[in-house]
Amino acid sequence: MSDDAIRPGEPLTIRVDGRELPATRGQTVAGALLANGIRVLRHTRRMGRPRGVFCGMGACYDCIVHVNGAPGLRACLTPVEPGMDVRLPKQFGPDPQP
Amino acid sequence: MSAPVLQTDLAVIGAGPAGLSAALAAARAGARVLLLDEYSQPGGQYMKQLAQGFSVPDTSRLDDEMQRGAALAQAVRDAGVVIEPSTLVLASFAPGELAISRRGEPALVRARAIVVATGAHERAIAFPGWDLPGVMTPGGAQTLAKTQRVLPGRRIVLAGSGPFLMPVAKSLLAIGAEIVAVFETTRPRAWSPHVLRLAGHGERVREALAYRRMLRAARVPVHFNHIVVEAVGTDAVERVRVVPCDDAGRVRIGAGYREIEADALCVGYGFVPAVQLTRALGCAHRHAPVRGGWVPEHDQDMRTTVANVFVAGEVAGIGGAPVAAAEGQLAGLAAARTLGCTVDDRALAQARRERAHRRRFADLVGELFPVKPAYYAPITDATIVCRCEEVTAGEVRRAAAEWGGELNFIKGVTRCGMGYCQGRICGSIVEALVCQTLGIHPGSAGALTVRTPLKPVPVEVLAGLAND
Repeated sequence: MSDDAIRPGEPLTIRVDGRELPATRGQTVAGALLANGIRVLRHTRRMGRPRGVFCGMGACYDCIVHVNGAPGLRACLTPVEPGMDVRLPKQFGPDPQP
Repeated sequence: MSAPVLQTDLAVIGAGPAGLSAALAAARAGARVLLLDEYSQPGGQYMKQLAQGFSVPDTSRLDDEMQRGAALAQAVRDAGVVIEPSTLVLASFAPGELAISRRGEPALVRARAIVVATGAHERAIAFPGWDLPGVMTPGGAQTLAKTQRVLPGRRIVLAGSGPFLMPVAKSLLAIGAEIVAVFETTRPRAWSPHVLRLAGHGERVREALAYRRMLRAARVPVHFNHIVVEAVGTDAVERVRVVPCDDAGRVRIGAGYREIEADALCVGYGFVPAVQLTRALGCAHRHAPVRGGWVPEHDQDMRTTVANVFVAGEVAGIGGAPVAAAEGQLAGLAAARTLGCTVDDRALAQARRERAHRRRFADLVGELFPVKPAYYAPITDATIVCRCEEVTAGEVRRAAAEWGGELNFIKGVTRCGMGYCQGRICGSIVEALVCQTLGIHPGSAGALTVRTPLKPVPVEVLAGLAND
């Protein structure tokens, strides 16, 4: 599969912790974050350790983020939408604190 | 009941090679089939489809798996199967009944028969730093690359063991990845005693050789008999430590480690059958290391110990897409016959033969790439093994020493396996640590009990499933 065989989706903008970032339709939140060089998606609640995309298939729940106020969505399975508000959980891990 | 009820003859869970094949076979035999899948598009992991939103002017330029997946999904639709994407099975509270979350809304499925084709998870094995961002499973990296053309990093190390590392390398290279090196714990010479058993599987052997040529052409160094022992970094992986190992996977004493700069480490040791649903349905399981660990027991037609529940594909034992498709076909035909559809004896016999042939090769691969006890040796006491609940290996080992070799006791004492992933990632690691600590046989420590809902959902969904 060569570069010109596939056309990416239309460009759009998402907000990540208040910052506007470019994405394309068809990307997941995880894909858009990685494409923007963001590898740390959250910090764990007990030890405050950084976590990122791990299994990429919805099994491990390490990539959970807050999306449009809803807590605990898997970034690897959630498609981006224009204007989507993504918050990366800090310190308190998976628990809701949008 | 406030949730809608979906009636069907056959419910198939999972739309990968096994589930699609089962749905197709049963529908063509005349059964009404409902196919439930967690993802937004059918195809599963092996035949992952390009993300919706991306476009391809010329679909013949997509890779083989994508084209086959699209064609198979279309055939399934044409056969009248109803596909429900973005749908999770949460629980089964009565025989033939499944509580589901369908695109975020609760519903009940009532089916006269069920084919479970839930596939597998990658086998991650812990080591210090494996929870750092940038460390991910090979399959996770492949999904990003194939479906949305995103690379996991700029300098990628691919490591672990098993044939799956090759197609992952191919997918990454196809979108311009820099793979710094591949580290495989085994080595080809260790496979040579089995070479005669490859007879009759020429197509799979040619596939393997093509991957070797591809890596050589891309100038990606492949190091056999090497194992990753640590990922180092502050906020994310910066360096990967690798050491030479012997054929048992044991670190060579005094060999010293090599440190490679990388911002992505994709590491995996094959797959673990995703048996959460077969457990929840009450199927009996057995421990079969060559098939990936705990697998549901089944007869020659893929029938489990629970009436009218069948299994197919990776959930029945790791083996890859060809065996999954063959088992799907067989389970679909057998389920259709159980439902009273007319199924030709010869078709069933042919499906059994095809399944047996494919399974022989899969078992050979399972023997060539066993999970060796030494793979767990890099796990220090301070290493987190349960990523969700942040339980360390030391806590698990101490609990095993104090409470004995029963995984559910260890779970209760340490909380390992109680988090969001329900032990999908840590379960096999905890099991290995407990068995090694106590010197007991793998598979003799019981299995983590699964809890419903099988995956987390908002409480509104559960409320919607409650009786009025």
